[in-house]
Amino acid sequence: MLLFRSEDNVRAWCGQRHLTPGEIFDPPRLWPLARAWYDDRLEPDWRRRTVVQRQAILDAAGFRGSFWRLIDS
Amino acid sequence: MHDSRIRLWIYQHFAGTGRAPSPVEIAAHFGLTPDHVERALHRLQAERDALVLIPGGPYIWMAEPFSAVPTSFLVRSGTRQWWGNCIWDGLAILALLGVDGAVSTACPVSGQPLVVSVVDGAVVAAPGVVHFAVAARDWWRDIGFT
Repeated sequence: MLLFRSEDNVRAWCGQRHLTPGEIFDPPRLWPLARAWYDDRLEPDWRRRTVVQRQAILDAAGFRGSFWRLIDS
Repeated sequence: MHDSRIRLWIYQHFAGTGRAPSPVEIAAHFGLTPDHVERALHRLQAERDALVLIPGGPYIWMAEPFSAVPTSFLVRSGTRQWWGNCIWDGLAILALLGVDGAVSTACPVSGQPLVVSVVDGAVVAAPGVVHFAVAARDWWRDIGFT
């Protein structure tokens, strides 16, 4: 997950690597996901969240659609 | 020694110092042998998916969102600094520690410096665009690329 100056630069970067661009969005949209995804890592009894729990975090942060599916519905 | 205590101390070490502890440092902290710690680190990677070791060795590469090696995502808060594995992880470090700060990187194509700042618990200055190249179901197929 990289930060680019512009969408044109994303397309140039992908073109150099023969990749189809993935999802592109403004940085503030990432903040709710950044806050929620790792918020348990300093807990003593941490266990990796299940895929269902992780999907729920993505959904709650507004990352919906096939690109953001960890599992088949 | 329970692996959970070692895992937590690794995270506390990252949070406090900005770097990963070595197996020898972990061993000294808990009064264990480095060999015991190395086995614990491999278990934490293989059985609990709690961290990523540098391939072929016992040294920590990532304890998400922290990176043990310098990356393109330098996270700063006051005089403290950490390395994030990506823009998501860079912001997540600030969120996890509950501090304001900034994630500094550069556009991979143009080289233009880009800084995303967090003030009062919110992203306030946000140039550029985030690109997720890999679909979610494939994030852990090659975590280094992701």
